[in-house]
Amino acid sequence: MTDTNQDIEAILQTVRENPTYLNLWSAYKKFENLDLPVSEESNSLSLAVIGSSTLEPLAACIDIKTKLDGFQTSTFVGGFNTYRQEALDQKSPLYKAKPDVIVLSVDAGSVLGQMFLTTFVRASENERVGLRGDLVSSIAAVIEVLEKNTSAIILVNNFIVPVFSPLGIVDNKQKTGLKRFFDGANTALTGLFMKSNRVFIVDLESISSDFGKSRIINWNTWYRGSIPFSEDFTPVLADEYLRYIRALRGRAKKCIVLDLDNTLWGGIIGEDGIEGIKLSNTSPGIEYVDFQRGLLSLYNRGVILAVCSKNNLDDALNVFQEHPFQVLKEEHFAAMRINWQNKAANIAELANEINIGLDSMVFFDDNPVERAQVSQAFPEVLVVDLPKNPRLYRETLENLNVFDVLSLTKEDLARGEMYVGKRKRVELETSADSIEDFLRTLDLKVRIRPVDDFDTPRVVQLIGKTNQFNLTTRRYTDAEVQQFRDDENSIVYSMAVTDKFGDEGVVGVAIIKKKNGDWWIDTLLMSCRVIGRSAETALLAKIVADARGEGVSRIIGEIIPTKKNPPAADLYEKHGFGMPAQTDENGTSWILNLETDAVDVPDWIELIEE
Amino acid sequence: MTDFEEKLLEILSKVLLLDKDKITDDLRRKDFEPWDSMNHLIIVTEIENEFEIFFEDEEVVELWTVGDIKKVLGSKFSS
Repeated sequence: MTDTNQDIEAILQTVRENPTYLNLWSAYKKFENLDLPVSEESNSLSLAVIGSSTLEPLAACIDIKTKLDGFQTSTFVGGFNTYRQEALDQKSPLYKAKPDVIVLSVDAGSVLGQMFLTTFVRASENERVGLRGDLVSSIAAVIEVLEKNTSAIILVNNFIVPVFSPLGIVDNKQKTGLKRFFDGANTALTGLFMKSNRVFIVDLESISSDFGKSRIINWNTWYRGSIPFSEDFTPVLADEYLRYIRALRGRAKKCIVLDLDNTLWGGIIGEDGIEGIKLSNTSPGIEYVDFQRGLLSLYNRGVILAVCSKNNLDDALNVFQEHPFQVLKEEHFAAMRINWQNKAANIAELANEINIGLDSMVFFDDNPVERAQVSQAFPEVLVVDLPKNPRLYRETLENLNVFDVLSLTKEDLARGEMYVGKRKRVELETSADSIEDFLRTLDLKVRIRPVDDFDTPRVVQLIGKTNQFNLTTRRYTDAEVQQFRDDENSIVYSMAVTDKFGDEGVVGVAIIKKKNGDWWIDTLLMSCRVIGRSAETALLAKIVADARGEGVSRIIGEIIPTKKNPPAADLYEKHGFGMPAQTDENGTSWILNLETDAVDVPDWIELIEE
Repeated sequence: MTDFEEKLLEILSKVLLLDKDKITDDLRRKDFEPWDSMNHLIIVTEIENEFEIFFEDEEVVELWTVGDIKKVLGSKFSS
């Protein structure tokens, strides 16, 4: 480690141990004095925080919290209430910072004016509706400029609905009372950007309510320095933006690994028996049913569930099959390890079987010793500090906020069923004589085509989160993918896979860039769900065929190695690409000479071109 | 050193990025670049929160040195 890296680690360690406002601020100031090394592309993050008040403290908290997450963040903080100029002036320091993420925090009061509350009471309904329209369009106009001038994701705070109204308890007897004024503004703002893939309205109103609206401002610092959020609230609010940033950069957790005894139900099945465990529609036992319902709601959204429990397999399965109040059934679990092995070993096996990274896993276990063991063996697994009281399990699950994605696709919603298909495939595979025989029985169909509008959100999602079978791990935003689609010198391919067990949807992406008569494979990735079915060969074959069609003589593929992508490391070599050469990004490039070499679609795959 | 001085030094050291033994009573806001208005605001807030006291605006402006802070704090504790 270099000296600077040691410095960075020492600064972060202090905050990690004690993430107070003072420590976050202190760390932020220390980083300002450091000469930071040039950052690795994949971890670098350019953040901009702009708005109507003094936002350094909020920016400091987001900056340090992203650094704790492993990002190499550089942060631009806008001037006091100059966000409009910063957005409009294309030469402003905001744009020079080339932000990946922009946080826009505007107080309604700064737009509505100081006399708003005073005059609101006597304003007519029409005037109120007019004011509300002005408020929303004033913010929307700034957002639209930011959207046009950058490729950043834009996180916009909505408005805090005031607790006090001069109209008192009859505020809601008026068509547009003060509270409905702000509720309506929030609804309108959210509605305007509902379809946008880059603008997200951050629900500051609900985060404030959860925290306690009387505690979100320190009036001393507000009047002294226009600091909009209190010392206790600022770090909490910062966490909310982290959810978007993690989702943007593919850091979302994908899988929940569950213990059984005293986690999914109360008691120990091996000792208490199926009649004795606590699992019921009344207390005791209802808290476990409720926790399971929470898990099922996440499953239905695309979070993978797995079991890791020390039990006799038959005892445990009996609960899944026979207990009248058991919510989660065997079919909801992508994989199970119910045995007497140590849990760290089991979790490693689960990761392998489900084919996801350990850092995508969340582990729930009531036993602190098991938790410590897993934590120690695999620090990258998120081990939940489960409270002793099972009535708090569901709340703990709901407060994790680690499963976020920036858009929900139909693939997300059907993921659970796909894993059942996967399990059945595994069963078939073990009964087939050779891997080719097995693949032939699957009736594989692969559809590859230049991506259309409908599949683009899924393609952007895959680019953002695929780590393992990803040759270059280049993360592109929605705007960049759109640019490639519009550019005649590049092609974005999407690949969808189906077989007799189910439709996997879009699971592969390739981006071609045409340079000096060659085709460069800038990006080639595939969801780990379909690894092992030679779909990647079909994708390469399609690229080769299209390149021939255009009279191209060479295809060049790049590989940038990461800790996670060894599964893809030999792709080009295996398909006849040769002459590996070093590239500037610490990777290698491989050449396929179309005059002498070819890539064919495997005979067990039916290629559908459109 | 009294407990309150220790806590005060902790705050100043974290915001101004100075070792505690380098923070003398005559350390002056005007002569020390990191002690800018933003950091002054943070220091004042942290002191208020830590000691559960409140500074008037005039007092905030008149806090020129570390010694000034100690003096005002002393007067607030004794009153």
